[in-house]
Amino acid sequence: MKKQIIYIFLASLLLLVSRTADGQKEDLFFHAAGSPENPRVEVSWNKYYTYSGVVDLCKRLAKAYPDLVTMESIGKSYQGRDIIVLTITDKNFRNPEDKPGFWIDGNIHSVELQGTEFALYTAWYLCEMRNENDFIRQLLKDKTFYIAPTINPDAREYFTGVGLPPRSGLAPRDNDRDGKYDEDGYDDLNNDKNISQMRRKNPNGRYKVDPRDPRKMIRVEPGEKGDYELLGYEGIDNDGDGLVNEDGPGGYDGNRDWGFNWEPNNVQYGADKYPFTFPENQAVRDFSLKHRNITGAQSFHNSGGMILRGPSIKEGGDEAYSRSDDYVLDVIGKKGELMLPGYKLVTIWKDMYTVYGGELDWWHGEMGCFVFSNELWTPYLMFYDSTNTDPYEFDRLLLFKDAFIPWQKVNHPVYGEIEVGGFNKNFGRLHPGFMIETDAHRNAAFCIYNAYQSPRLEITDMKVKDMKGGLKEVTATVENKRLLPTHSASNLKFRIDPPDYISIEGGKVIAGMIVKNIDLNTATEQKKDPSRLEVDNIAGYERVTVRWIVKGGTKYNINVKSVKGGIATALAE
Amino acid sequence: MKNPLKHLIIFTSLFFTFSPALTQAQYSDYLTMSQKIISLGKEYPSLCSVKTLVKTDGGKEIQAITIGTGDKDNKPAIAVLGGVEGSYVLGPELAFGFASSLLHAAANNGTKELLDKVTFYILPNVSPDATEQFFAGLRYERNINEKSTDNDRDFLTGEDPYEDLNHDGLITQIRVRDPEGSWVISKEDNRVMVPADLSKGETGDYKVFSEGIDNDHDGKFNEDGEGGVDFNRNFTFDYEQYGLNAGLYPVSEPEVKAVADFLYDRFNVYAVFAFGPQDNLGHPLKASDNSRSGRRITSILKSDEVINKLVSEKYHDITGAKGAPPAIMGHGDFMDWAYYHYGRYSFSTPGWWFPVGKGETREAAFLKYAASHNMNDVFVPWTETGHPDFPGEKVEVGGIKPFAMINPPADTVPVLIEKTYRFITTIAAMHPELEFLNTKIEDAGENIFRVSLDVHNKGIFATCTEAGDRNIWTRIMRISIETGKGQVLLSGDRVARIERLEGDRSASYSWLVSGKGQVKIKAGALNTGTITTDIELK
Repeated sequence: MKKQIIYIFLASLLLLVSRTADGQKEDLFFHAAGSPENPRVEVSWNKYYTYSGVVDLCKRLAKAYPDLVTMESIGKSYQGRDIIVLTITDKNFRNPEDKPGFWIDGNIHSVELQGTEFALYTAWYLCEMRNENDFIRQLLKDKTFYIAPTINPDAREYFTGVGLPPRSGLAPRDNDRDGKYDEDGYDDLNNDKNISQMRRKNPNGRYKVDPRDPRKMIRVEPGEKGDYELLGYEGIDNDGDGLVNEDGPGGYDGNRDWGFNWEPNNVQYGADKYPFTFPENQAVRDFSLKHRNITGAQSFHNSGGMILRGPSIKEGGDEAYSRSDDYVLDVIGKKGELMLPGYKLVTIWKDMYTVYGGELDWWHGEMGCFVFSNELWTPYLMFYDSTNTDPYEFDRLLLFKDAFIPWQKVNHPVYGEIEVGGFNKNFGRLHPGFMIETDAHRNAAFCIYNAYQSPRLEITDMKVKDMKGGLKEVTATVENKRLLPTHSASNLKFRIDPPDYISIEGGKVIAGMIVKNIDLNTATEQKKDPSRLEVDNIAGYERVTVRWIVKGGTKYNINVKSVKGGIATALAE
Repeated sequence: MKNPLKHLIIFTSLFFTFSPALTQAQYSDYLTMSQKIISLGKEYPSLCSVKTLVKTDGGKEIQAITIGTGDKDNKPAIAVLGGVEGSYVLGPELAFGFASSLLHAAANNGTKELLDKVTFYILPNVSPDATEQFFAGLRYERNINEKSTDNDRDFLTGEDPYEDLNHDGLITQIRVRDPEGSWVISKEDNRVMVPADLSKGETGDYKVFSEGIDNDHDGKFNEDGEGGVDFNRNFTFDYEQYGLNAGLYPVSEPEVKAVADFLYDRFNVYAVFAFGPQDNLGHPLKASDNSRSGRRITSILKSDEVINKLVSEKYHDITGAKGAPPAIMGHGDFMDWAYYHYGRYSFSTPGWWFPVGKGETREAAFLKYAASHNMNDVFVPWTETGHPDFPGEKVEVGGIKPFAMINPPADTVPVLIEKTYRFITTIAAMHPELEFLNTKIEDAGENIFRVSLDVHNKGIFATCTEAGDRNIWTRIMRISIETGKGQVLLSGDRVARIERLEGDRSASYSWLVSGKGQVKIKAGALNTGTITTDIELK
């Protein structure tokens, strides 16, 4: 008896322990609106991730959601790191390539880190909310997300690890055209993995320390005596040519390397030999060419609080924009302004500056997509106030001066005793830790809104009518229930993708036509291959009516196949 | 004739110099050309090296021949390209012929001197997949490589090739008697079809197509056959997005990338010669008043125009060429890329053309020229044939044979090679070259010396083109001074940039050095050569 009691006691203890282990989570948390209640993948969103961290997070997500996530390397960077893409969609529902796709990438510019975190957040959120939210569940059935957290991992690693690289990747370039490569970059004189400002005590200097804040250097008034001169970024004239820091690692701009409206360096600073000189961009190019179902894209940059849209050059170059395309971009962009306080919809060439050969132009001009590029972070976000954007005050009150590297004495081989200090590289363009998740969520929501607005084709209003001679007239309407057309103006101008095909099976097709006006009963016949009707475009919220004269059969399969609009099927009887 | 004997001697010696070429009066197919290149490399191992740049999709190799002496790759260099447009098969002959002539003459003093100063990179054929169509069973003018492309954007590839309806191994034209057609028989020559001129009250009575059938029944004939992308449309300057045979994006093709990489890696190249449809030697380019649009350069710049004019004059003088070939605008073409984007002196010519009078139809002018130059067999007479797309209608096959209007008869090639060789070597002798002039040492007392000198470009060509001056692929010349032990540089830059020097221009430099000893001054860059001088301060 004693033994049995012990067994029962041990069994119930085990049960209790295991229940507690499971129920531990339920006991500790109360569901906050819009957040995953029980994420399988635990992530801290108040951090930036190194390349290893990014890979680890991707692996964990792919492992936790095998029915949603496919992780692949689409190519190698210059230094051999994998460019990772996560394909996220409900794999049990239809082939990923048969659904309208949405592409997200981050970090094409080395110092612009947070695009990676925002892209990862989007991936994580979609997965974690799939079981908890009807909208997300349906979204993943309807659409495919292609998320590339970082498309410049080499320079990301350099930035997080070593110092301040240029916007580019790390392939050596001879920036000062003297025959030597990367011979004179920034020098981290005080070994703090930051490239800060140099200042030197100088009784004739034009700067002094702000009496209210020892971190700050301010210019003296005319006639006022100064204490310091500012000497620029930490550096030494490594190659003795009289110039300092003029040729550091890399030196090109990966976002001027794309094969649409490309111009060379003397016209577009940052361009290199020809488009797709660099392997990272080649990888993205090749992926895009193999995934023509991608209909919308987001490429994250920093900073400025802008939602960038094209055209990128004044005359548009080879770009094609129609009024209806503009409307689509403006509707989505304006929604973005609402969802992202502090961010403004900006047309690149008009409100910013001309960009030749940018990634946005590739997606829009060559791939026929609707694309935005968000410049993440704006000083407005400090106090949600465009009139108070004082970084020193923000750093003091909200970061407790964590973002500032105090001025410290250093010996410079040429300048003598100098002081090095200034804001940390993780501040100024990068979100401070506590603000990453909020803005990541808002930007993820913007991407989701974009993706949601990609075409959704449905076959409605099917009618089968008997005709003389045993023939049947089969009419069907294909409706696009979302904002984006199946073909952008660019797509139509260059015939980038095939037309939308509406086909019928189940009988012998005698004739096929597109009904121009259903009330007036006017139609245009397609003489060649009428069983597969070709429609150039189905615009946002547009309805296209088609009709066949068929001999034989009773039930007819109507199929719509659109490269960027996905597929739809229905049975007409 | 001033001295007929002298001319005879010169001609005979040239004859024997070039006689190996005379014995084979044929254009060279890929295998023949490859063997010739390999043989050349074996024959002159110390002067010449051959490198394969890439293998095309069609399995052919693009070769580069380097000819030079000493530190070849660190001297100013000229690149010569043939095969820029595949149908111009004369190009590879001229390019290879130039290489071969240069090596045969390498022992001569004049050539030795030249090779001492200038290196040559010759790429005989950069479109080997395209040029091979000249030697194929079915011959037609082809400029495109083996890549499978959707030329007419109907989402099918290769669905409508040419067909040899009259089985003559050539693709010419077909004409269909049809009142809806817009072509008429030319009044200048009744073998030639021309568009009807409504302004002259003409209405057409023929339809004209290239030889073949409309395989995909889209109303267009032979618009999408084998291949491909055109080398001469795939470069970045004025590239036509989604243009016909232009590739999906600039420099998409392995041939183009290999050639671009080869040239971009060679900072010592200062000029490029290409044989293809673009021409700035028959007619030199004109600078326009609006040569820049924003930061884009849109026409040849003034000081570069001066050199183009000179080179064009020399071309006429040396080759005896009269007039100019038709001006063919390029989009993404090699000649313009080499100037506007690669930033080098860029010269191009088809190498041969026939005169066309004002108002004359080109085809009629050609047939006239052919008749007076013993060029028989350039025309396929119009002959009736059946045609599945025009049942019951009168269809004839005929027309000028492919290649005939853009490539001269093979037996004229050796003379053209000889002229090309003389022309390029003459121009090469005008290369930029630096020298120190007016070196002065002033004793300022107290062991302080002022050293001054001029850096003079004694060549005719500038140290770089005006278009290339702000191009990151042009090296900037530098002048540096190295002081000896115990010497101190008091004033003047240790390293300074030398701004671009046009032909016969100078720049002055001076330094103040304290202490006796030897200073070493170095000036130049890879594309101009570097000069050094040691100056004893005592």
